[in-house]
Amino acid sequence: MKPDPIDQLGARLFEIARNEPVPHAAEQRALAAARLEVARKPEKIARFSAVRGWLMAAACVALAASAALLLRAKDEGLGISAEPPILAHAPSEPRSVPSATVRETPPIAPIAPIAPIAPTAAVTAKPVPSSAALPVHSAAASLSDELSALKIASSALSAGDPQAALRALDRYDRVLKGQKLRAEATLLKIEALSRAGQTGAASALAQRFVDQNPGSPLVDRARSFVVNGSEEMKR
Amino acid sequence: MIGIPSKAPPAGVSQTATHGLSIDSLVAQHYGFIWRVLRGLGLSRADAEDATQQVFMIAARKLDAIAPDRARSFVYGAALRVANNARRGLRRRREVPDDEVLNEPEPEARSPEKMAELVRARQLLARVLDQLSEKHRRVLVLAELEQLEVPEIAALESIPVGTAASRLRVAREKFRATLLAMRDQNPFVDEP
Repeated sequence: MKPDPIDQLGARLFEIARNEPVPHAAEQRALAAARLEVARKPEKIARFSAVRGWLMAAACVALAASAALLLRAKDEGLGISAEPPILAHAPSEPRSVPSATVRETPPIAPIAPIAPIAPTAAVTAKPVPSSAALPVHSAAASLSDELSALKIASSALSAGDPQAALRALDRYDRVLKGQKLRAEATLLKIEALSRAGQTGAASALAQRFVDQNPGSPLVDRARSFVVNGSEEMKR
Repeated sequence: MIGIPSKAPPAGVSQTATHGLSIDSLVAQHYGFIWRVLRGLGLSRADAEDATQQVFMIAARKLDAIAPDRARSFVYGAALRVANNARRGLRRRREVPDDEVLNEPEPEARSPEKMAELVRARQLLARVLDQLSEKHRRVLVLAELEQLEVPEIAALESIPVGTAASRLRVAREKFRATLLAMRDQNPFVDEP
């Protein structure tokens, strides 16, 4: 029986699609980006822990202040205050109003200053590799060299040292002339500039990245650093 | 296995989840699968590359939560979501050409004519698949591009095996009818 030509055509179309070569360069870029993402995860967790710690400290202070105000309001409601009441008609009589129970209540201790929460070990203990440790290449660097450079920048950011990150990224540009992970490097630079307080430069670079790479998987993250005109004016 | 240079991660940074799934093995095992699925779902080569990278960045962030035996399901689910977003983005910027320019040598393309034929064949397949509903397209892509069995398709789609079988049957019928209607675009007409 003669095979159906439409079925044959369909089978052939699918066979061609199946045999389309997987782009290995893109696969390597994806792996490098995914590795960086894994490397950045502890930093995010540490940052979240630190933020959570500060929030808890702020909540404790607010709670203590509220308690103090509440007790004071209660005291005032009962007519008990730090100042003795003025008794015009019986100045010489010993005061009987203050109750022992109220007196026995220990005075509210002044709110002790809460020691700043120490940054988590992941932030402080992580050594920032020196950018001098970067491989020196004048020709195009390998993917692993570029990845190492970006990991140094990423570690510096994790350790709260945006200047070291910027130095590592500068070296990535000048010495390695990195190309394979250019998008990831740009994003790290945007983040480093932002954390270094150079929000204007970070925003401009982020905007340029968004304009030039509208389809990049990193574009949403870059966009989050773009400061619009009105916000910029406020600064 | 691809020739990824193995570089030790920086101190204190694990590239492996607590249950032993590493991002390297995840990419090595599933990159091709995800890339082909995204191509089958209608993304251009460049968009499929970007979207596949995005899928593995999502996987990298959730590495600890991915059970090794559910890794393929996880990346497949992520790919469907990323593909939907990518296609929405594409609709917004329709000026972007559908690039079929190959930057890697293709074994089947022995001549420029053959290359053009391959491109036309892929375009025809994309046009036919575009006529199918999303659910029919997905099962057909899994069956014909990935050559998965019905139970595997059912598992990935999270549907009963019977539903997957009937959906695949309907998808094949619709594909055939659509291809029949577009047979004048057959890029192989010159061949016997």
